[in-house]
Amino acid sequence: MLFEFDADQRLWQDTVREVLAKECPPALVRGVVDEGVDPGPLWRAYVRHGWTELTGSGEAVELAIVLEELGRATDPTPYLATMTQFAPFFPEVAEKGVSGTAVFEGVSAHRDDGGWVLDGTARYVLDGDRADRLAVVTGEGVFTVPADEAHVTRTPVFDPLLHVAEVSFWNVRVADQDRAENADPQRTRHLALTGLALTTVGACQRILDLTLEHVRTRHQFGVPIGSFQAVKHKAADMHVAIERARALAYYAALTIAADDPRRRLAASMAKAAAGECQSLVFRHGLQLFGGMGYTWENDLQFALKRAKAGELLLGGAAEHRALIAEEYA
Amino acid sequence: MKLTFDADVEAFRAEFSAFLDAHLPKEAEELERPRSTAHIPEWARRWQRLLFEEGWLLPANPPEFGGRNASLLQQYVHLEELARRRIYHSFNPQGLGIIAASLLSFGTEEQKHRWAVPVLRAEKTAALGMSEPDAGSDLASLRTRADLQGDHFVVNGQKVWTSGAHDADFILAFVRTDPDAPKHKGISVLIVPTDLPGVNRRPFGSLVGPDDLDFNEVFFENVKVPAENLVGALNDGWRVANGSLGHERTMLWLSFAERLEDLTQDFRPEDVLARDRYATLVMDLQALRLMGSAALARAARGEQDVASVSVLKVFGSEAVQNATEQALEAAGSQALVHPARTAPFNPMTLEDFYAGWFERYARSFSGTIAGGTSEIQRTIIAERVLGLPRS
Repeated sequence: MLFEFDADQRLWQDTVREVLAKECPPALVRGVVDEGVDPGPLWRAYVRHGWTELTGSGEAVELAIVLEELGRATDPTPYLATMTQFAPFFPEVAEKGVSGTAVFEGVSAHRDDGGWVLDGTARYVLDGDRADRLAVVTGEGVFTVPADEAHVTRTPVFDPLLHVAEVSFWNVRVADQDRAENADPQRTRHLALTGLALTTVGACQRILDLTLEHVRTRHQFGVPIGSFQAVKHKAADMHVAIERARALAYYAALTIAADDPRRRLAASMAKAAAGECQSLVFRHGLQLFGGMGYTWENDLQFALKRAKAGELLLGGAAEHRALIAEEYA
Repeated sequence: MKLTFDADVEAFRAEFSAFLDAHLPKEAEELERPRSTAHIPEWARRWQRLLFEEGWLLPANPPEFGGRNASLLQQYVHLEELARRRIYHSFNPQGLGIIAASLLSFGTEEQKHRWAVPVLRAEKTAALGMSEPDAGSDLASLRTRADLQGDHFVVNGQKVWTSGAHDADFILAFVRTDPDAPKHKGISVLIVPTDLPGVNRRPFGSLVGPDDLDFNEVFFENVKVPAENLVGALNDGWRVANGSLGHERTMLWLSFAERLEDLTQDFRPEDVLARDRYATLVMDLQALRLMGSAALARAARGEQDVASVSVLKVFGSEAVQNATEQALEAAGSQALVHPARTAPFNPMTLEDFYAGWFERYARSFSGTIAGGTSEIQRTIIAERVLGLPRS
């Protein structure tokens, strides 16, 4: 196995970074939080750049590269939910630039004379309050529903950039053609886990980037604090944890791209490793930043919160380690 | 990114596998165990010589040195196949991996045939004389003196941690030949046969037991070493040291991956907590293989990547340490028994895989201490990868 980007993938990563440096700079993210700036134009930029067309299995690694960089930029759009939770069910809809998310649990479907009816409530649906369309996973199949047919309430959360919502269906009627044929909720779940893992890895990299910048420039006792071994060793541990989590996240993306049977195990490994990584990187990053990282004005908070939120969605590290161990039972 | 190797690498693997299936020593239960890293039992000498003659010992070498000019990736699958069967190609690993490799890189033609080839053919064994009581991580401060007097050097001083020295036929010794030069610049490398007058070796037990004898103190007292035993140029030993260890470093992570792989078989979790720890073990193994193969791909392109080697060493060695500690603690009071066996008896490997969990855990510290401690590795990562200022 040769686990590194080929030349095209390296070029793609550079392209994605350049686009984000221009379109999603820290000032924009800050503006979304503090001034209520609309991230809509940014979303349309992603669509314009073709990023919502990365829906094919074969493009899973290219999508992974985008997701990691978006985690690093603490992306304020519904790209993650759209591409890893909705697009796997309804790729042709996402490709047109329509945003979406998935409702994995809590909703049931039944048939009556008039067709399909959806009932039930799901909580903590990523971008459930702002996606254009919902992919609703039920025992009877996966349905696509315009979001305005559900009752959605945004849940207040610690991360000012994160949207999660309670989504309720009260006798919502769905036509037969809005039921996905051959939908594979397991595969979508694996992609969703991998996507969250990549986002978390990107956010952790951002924490490390900011921390390194800080310890190189912050002087105490006449020297940069980054010259102290206690600081260096924490930074080295952050790097190692990120490398480990990144390797497992891209491995999961690769198994999805290859439709390899190991993808279930790989997705849980990716999610668990990302969770373990954020735990260490959050602690060391905030600790090394000292008081300055503890303020609202410092952008470190966005990456810290993105990383911690990633752990709390779709099962944390401990839950996924239990799933991994089951594979070996 | 690919999940598989190219066809030529897999064909190479198949050929080697077929060779192993046909030629592995039989009646393994009766085979004598090696007692140190420079003691090769007679059956293992025959085994290593066969590998040498068939070009399967170090496949990257040319045929005259036990190889078949294999590529780096072929070399990797060769080690993978050996590891999968838990067998060693040599019971004098430092002789093969560091000393013979250094002699082939830096030695004269005569030195290659007189010293390296016998090591490769398991006719001689060798020990590495680097560390001293006051020169560990700071190797360049070594003080063993060698003074050129006519056609020989006179060597005085002391080495320590010299693995296998009491069983070795010669020591590749790093010595100070110019005490007035800056400390990195006055070092040279000598081949010191252990039967020369004035060489005294004292093996000492490890914390595992007084009879676990691999480490040695080696004392040199007016030892006369022929001048022709100088390896590389006079006072150019630091370059040899870096080159020597470089041979080991590209693939070092693989030895940690092998131990993790073995642990996935030997550690059987029986409760919820142990299963949680087992999951960490399999994640570490997978991550190490992925990160290692990326480093390998860079090395195959000829890129020097000192920093990624440090990441792999610190991560791999600590993953082994964590996993063995978890296995030890999961075993409960049963793990108190010593000696004990936690894996099938296997004389084909140097590792004491049949040892108890305490011993396996204790031995994991060789990974975090030897070859640059974890603390040194972290400093390298911080300075060379992350760009933090030197203190």
